[in-house]
Amino acid sequence: MASVAHPVREGIRGPNIASADVQLPAVRDYEQVDRDIIATLGFTKKWFLGLSVAVLAMLIGASSWIYQIYWGLGQAGYEPPVMWGNYIITFVFWVGIGHAGTLISAILYLFRAGFRTSIYRAAEAMTVFAVMTAGLFPIIHIGRPWKFFWLIPYPNWRLLWPNFKSPLVWDVFAISTYLTISTTFLFIGLIPDIAVLRDKETNPMRKRILSILSLGWRNSDREWRHFAKAYLFLAAFSTPLVLSVHSVVSFDFAMALTPGWHASIFPPYFVAGAIFSGFAMVWTIAIPMRKWFKLEHYITLNHLDATAKVVLFTSLVVGSAYLIEFFIAWYSSVRAEQEFFWNRVFGQWWWAAWTLLLCNMAMPMSLWSQKLRRNPTWLFILSLFINLGMWFERFVIVVPSLSHEFEPWQWGHYTVSWVDMSFLVGSFGWFFMWFLLFVKQLPVMAIAELKEIVAPRMKHGHGHGHDHHHAGGHE
Amino acid sequence: MRGVTGAFHELDTTVAAIEDLKKKRLGDVTVYSPTIRHELDHAIDAPVSVVRRFTLVGGLLGVSFGYWIAIWSSNYWPLVVGGKAFASWIPYTIIGFEVMVLVGALSTVAGMFINSRIPRLTTTTGYDARFSGGYFGIFIACDAAKADQAEALLRQHGAAEVRREA
Repeated sequence: MASVAHPVREGIRGPNIASADVQLPAVRDYEQVDRDIIATLGFTKKWFLGLSVAVLAMLIGASSWIYQIYWGLGQAGYEPPVMWGNYIITFVFWVGIGHAGTLISAILYLFRAGFRTSIYRAAEAMTVFAVMTAGLFPIIHIGRPWKFFWLIPYPNWRLLWPNFKSPLVWDVFAISTYLTISTTFLFIGLIPDIAVLRDKETNPMRKRILSILSLGWRNSDREWRHFAKAYLFLAAFSTPLVLSVHSVVSFDFAMALTPGWHASIFPPYFVAGAIFSGFAMVWTIAIPMRKWFKLEHYITLNHLDATAKVVLFTSLVVGSAYLIEFFIAWYSSVRAEQEFFWNRVFGQWWWAAWTLLLCNMAMPMSLWSQKLRRNPTWLFILSLFINLGMWFERFVIVVPSLSHEFEPWQWGHYTVSWVDMSFLVGSFGWFFMWFLLFVKQLPVMAIAELKEIVAPRMKHGHGHGHDHHHAGGHE
Repeated sequence: MRGVTGAFHELDTTVAAIEDLKKKRLGDVTVYSPTIRHELDHAIDAPVSVVRRFTLVGGLLGVSFGYWIAIWSSNYWPLVVGGKAFASWIPYTIIGFEVMVLVGALSTVAGMFINSRIPRLTTTTGYDARFSGGYFGIFIACDAAKADQAEALLRQHGAAEVRREA
C-alpha cells in the first residue's frame, strides 16, 4: 500500500505547485468523466445552426475564389506597389491563431502547467484547423491555384531546385512541418480517447470505424509506457517548433529591405503576438463550449484565470515590442524609418494602428483585475477585440509598409475589395466548419488525461479528492 | 493465450495484487488501466521505453538530410552572387531544424507504434471494455496448473470479477 499512499516521485520532485488551482472538485470518478465528455457528442439544434452559418460563410469565400480565378488577381485590391494585402494578412493571422494549441499541449506540458489539461484538446484541434486555413492563402494568392505544387521543394523539369536561402522556402518547410506535427500530436493524444468511445459504442458500424481509428489500443501497461515517452518527445520537438514557426513567418518580412519590416525584433515580437492571439481564440471557442456543453466543472474559473494571466503577459510583451519599434525608429536616425512610423500612427492608416493599440495594449490591461479574469463573459468579449486587434496588427505591418516605402514616387494605395472581405469571412467559415464537425465526432477534452487529475477509487486510505494527481499529464 | 483476468475497481488493491503476483512468479503480467498511474508503473517496474532511441536516430537522420539537401542542391545548380558562397550554413539551419523535427517526431511515433504493437485489429486476450472506463485490469498468462493459484490471489486482493481465458 505504501506505493499508493506516497507516490515515489512526489518526494523527489516536491509538491506540484500548479495542482492546487486545477483540481476538479465536482468530478467524482472516472465513470463521470466518460459520461460527461461523451455527452458532448450528441447533436443539438444550436450545433446545426452554428454549422449552417459556418458552411454559408465558407461558401461566400468559395464563390469569391471562383470569381477571382475567372477575373484575375486584380479583384484582390492589389495595386502597385501594394502587391500583398488581405491574403498575407489573413495568412499570418491564422498561423498566429494556430500557435496557442501547440503551446498549450507541448510547452505547458513540459512546464507541468496543470491548467492545460481541460483545454488542450480543443486548442490542439484549433491549431490544426487554423493552420489548414492559413495554408489556403498562399494558394489563393498565387492566382493560379492549380500550380500550387510549385511551392513544394522538389526539382523542376530542368532539375532546378528551389533557393533554400529564400524566406518563402523556409516558410513552406516551417508551415508544412508544423501542420504535420500538430496533426500527429492531436491524433496520438486522441488514440486512448477513441478507444474509450469504441468500448462504449453500441452501433456496430460506428464501433468498427472507432476500432480502426483507435488502432486497437488496449490501455495495457506496455502501450501506456511507450505512449508516455513518445508524448514527452513529441512535446520536446514541438516546443522549439512552436517558437520557430512564427519566427520563420516573421522572416518573410524582416528579410526584406522595407521600412517597418527590416528589424531583428520581429521573431520574438511575432511569436508573442501569435501566442497572444492564439489564447484569445481559445477563449472564443472554449467559453461558449463550456457553457453549451455544460463543462463548467471541467473548465473552471481557475482555468480561465490562469489563461488570462498568459494573455496579460503576452499583451505586455507585444505592447513593449510596439513601443520598441517606435523607439528604434527614432533612435536609428534613419529618416525613412522615422517618417514611416510617424505615418503609421498619424498617416493614412491611423485608424488601423489605433485599433490595434486599443485592442492589444489597452483593453488587456483590464486583466490586472482578478474579478475580470474570472468573468467568462468579459473574457469572451475581450477575445473578440483581441482577434480584431491582431488582424489589424498584421494589416498595419503589411499595408502601410508597402504603400509607403523609401521614395515618395513609390508611394501608393490599397483598397480592401469585397473579394478580400469575402475571403476573410470564408476563412472563418472554413475554420469553424471543421471545428464544429470535430466537436461532434471526437472528444473535445482529453478523457484519459482528465482521469489523471481525478482521484482514483481506493479501498484503503484516500480516494476521490485526495491529491494523488500531477498536473502536467503523462510523464 | 491462456490465463486469468481480474477486474479491479480500486487502484490500491490493483497495486497490491501486482506486487504479490510478481513475488509469486505465476506468469507474465499485463496491467490495463484507464489512464497513466505512477503507482502502477512503480509496481510493474518495467524497463525504460526504447522509443527514445527512435527519436535520437530520426532526429539525427533528419538534420543531416536537411542540411545535405540544401548544400547539395546549391552546389549542383549554383546561384552565383559575387563574393558569396554557393552554400551558406546559416539559412540552411532553418531547413536542417525543420527536417530534424519532422523526421524525429515521425520516428518517435513509429517507435511508439512498433513497441506498443499497434495498429492491432485483432482482439486481445484478457482485455475488457471496462478497462478503458473505470476499472483496472490484470491479466496473468499462465497454464491451467497455475491458474487456480492466480485466480485465488486476484480474489484475495479484492478483484470485482475474475475470469479464465481459454
